[in-house]
Amino acid sequence: MAKIELKNLSKTYNKKIEALHDINFTIEDGQFFVLLGPSGAGKTTTLRCIAGLEKIDNGSILFNDESVTEDQPASRDVCFVFQQYSLYPHYSVYENLAFPLRSPMRKLPEEEIKTKVESIASMLKISNKLNNKATQLSGGEMQRVAIGRALVREPNLYLMDEPLSSLDAKLRESLRVELKNIQTNLNSTILYVTHDQAEATTLADKIGVLKEGHLVQIGTPEEIYENPNSIYVSQRLGSPKINILPGKLFGMDDVPTFGIRPENITIGTGNYSAKIISIENLGSETVVALNFKDQEILVSIQGNYKSSINETINFDMNNEKVLRFDQKGNRIYER
Amino acid sequence: MDTSRSYLEPSSFSKKLAATIIIVYTVITLIPISWMVMTSFKNVNSAISYPPEVFFEPSLEGYVNLFTNRSRQSQEYLDSLPPPENWYEELVRSREMVITGPSKFLGRYSNSMIIGFGSTFASVFLGALAAYAFSRFRVPLKDDLLFFILSTRMFPPIAVAVPIFIMYRKLGLGDTHLGMIILYTVVNLSLAVWLLKGFMDEIPKEYEEAAMIDGYSRLQAFFKVVLPQAMTGIAATAIFCMIFSWNEYAFAVLLTQFNAQTAPPFIPTIIGEGGLDWPAIGAGTTLFLLPVMIFTIILRKHLLRGITFGAVRK
Ligand SMILES: Nc1ncnc2c1ncn2[C@@H]1O[C@H](COP(=O)(O)OP(=O)(O)OP(=O)(O)O)[C@@H](O)[C@H]1O
Ligand SMILES: [Mg+2]
Repeated sequence: MAKIELKNLSKTYNKKIEALHDINFTIEDGQFFVLLGPSGAGKTTTLRCIAGLEKIDNGSILFNDESVTEDQPASRDVCFVFQQYSLYPHYSVYENLAFPLRSPMRKLPEEEIKTKVESIASMLKISNKLNNKATQLSGGEMQRVAIGRALVREPNLYLMDEPLSSLDAKLRESLRVELKNIQTNLNSTILYVTHDQAEATTLADKIGVLKEGHLVQIGTPEEIYENPNSIYVSQRLGSPKINILPGKLFGMDDVPTFGIRPENITIGTGNYSAKIISIENLGSETVVALNFKDQEILVSIQGNYKSSINETINFDMNNEKVLRFDQKGNRIYER
Repeated sequence: MDTSRSYLEPSSFSKKLAATIIIVYTVITLIPISWMVMTSFKNVNSAISYPPEVFFEPSLEGYVNLFTNRSRQSQEYLDSLPPPENWYEELVRSREMVITGPSKFLGRYSNSMIIGFGSTFASVFLGALAAYAFSRFRVPLKDDLLFFILSTRMFPPIAVAVPIFIMYRKLGLGDTHLGMIILYTVVNLSLAVWLLKGFMDEIPKEYEEAAMIDGYSRLQAFFKVVLPQAMTGIAATAIFCMIFSWNEYAFAVLLTQFNAQTAPPFIPTIIGEGGLDWPAIGAGTTLFLLPVMIFTIILRKHLLRGITFGAVRK
């Protein structure tokens, strides 16, 4: 496993579309690094540049302090689980898993290949599919084979582009746990892309937030959640999502906009009163939507909440948890 | 109750209709071919008898005549010869002739094989490499180059016959296998590049990328993952190239005489004494048909196997 460093990395497609702009970050050896960002932010592009599938315009990529910027993909020794998982359709599942081990760079003996493939297959619960053609699998099975094809090797770095996205919730959860276990046991370095909240917060040691090709914040999941440096970052994590409201509404005239997470609002008593628009009971929590001066405010309450729609109630905010933002959406830190 | 039938499956009526149309069509197209095959097994007299004979006593005379040169002899001379050693000598002598040697057919036929398969292989191989490059790399002036390649097919190839004839004579390529392979490859290559480029475009580049990350070079990835998936296209292209090179007549007449002459210019020369030797012509054309037919049947399963792009999520 290796330490990965990106320095001033820029990538422009077709000399026009700037996909990545001056990206700098370091993934320590053994770190689980998650990239967050909406569609088109440049997550896949970052992974492809590191894998060597895209030529970069500027900057350098270092593995263990050595530049690999000019190296071919094969010699970088990384694994890539593609967003569009691409199993070799003319091979069986077994052959797909064995393919990287048979490469001219490794050429493992057949027995060793067999042992590795079978142990990975049983971990991913696809042992009974080993003889299937890659095309004779369900979407979730294909995705597991794609993950398996990465995990049969111990590369410098695993690159995973939304690897669990087409699995059902239960399988996703179990694979998430499995993945985290493997990562801690082998101390592997992983760069992981996801849209899934739970995945990001439970898996990540560090999160990097991408916005239109710019890396806008790096931090631990707690930092990103508690201490975002912009409205944009604050909206990446949290479900139900953070309330972004004009400051004037609450008498904060020097604050153009502020954010407050739904769990930091209390209902029942308080200085403000609002009408209930909807109540959504999610089991362990209840999400209540309020109408306050024509602004929708989401509140999350532990357990069950009994009330009815259109009722008027009082609420209050935990002032310490209020995140203040300027006109441009950047954070105003306490003075 | 028929619960297994999907809504997409054609009804049994339309299936029957389709089958009927196919059978009628097949019979119509098969009549001339079966007539040709039948003629090849007739003897010289029953081949031209009127009304035509549908049931006849099969004879290998056509094939014997195709593979041998014969000369007519007087009855006295024939009587003076020792008894025939084998069935085909006997057959020839019953027509008051003797075998003077093997005909050129076998040589022409193997020339056709060498040149046909050689140029087909070269067209498909070079075409696949070029198509891959056009499909995957940023080639300067790509569109213009592709149009240029296509434009080589816009005039009938024979329009450049004279310059090619002179060039080939100067280069010493006239009447050589290599010369004919090069010529047919050049003619077929534009078709091969265009056809295969279409198929390669359909193969997601993720496959090669995955292979390259799995530790293979681009060339290895090309052979390991791209070519197997382009099999449908390769089979189709190979059949087209083979059919062209196999049937090509004009250049073969112009550029070959002895050494590298192919079967098409030879077959019309099978004319017997005192009229056309129909059984021999039938035998020649039947044998001529076989290789392309077998080749197509072998490659057919790749054509029907269809395109298996299912393992990439789009
Ligand atoms: N091959 C390409 N050619 C041109 N532009 C591209 C190419 N690939 C990506 N882009 C552009 O680069 C930008 C970043 O794309 P990228 O695929 O990295 O997004 P992403 O963050 O992975 O999005 P998603 O979550 O939808 O997968 C987008 O604006 C996209 O349109
Ligand atoms: Mg992506």
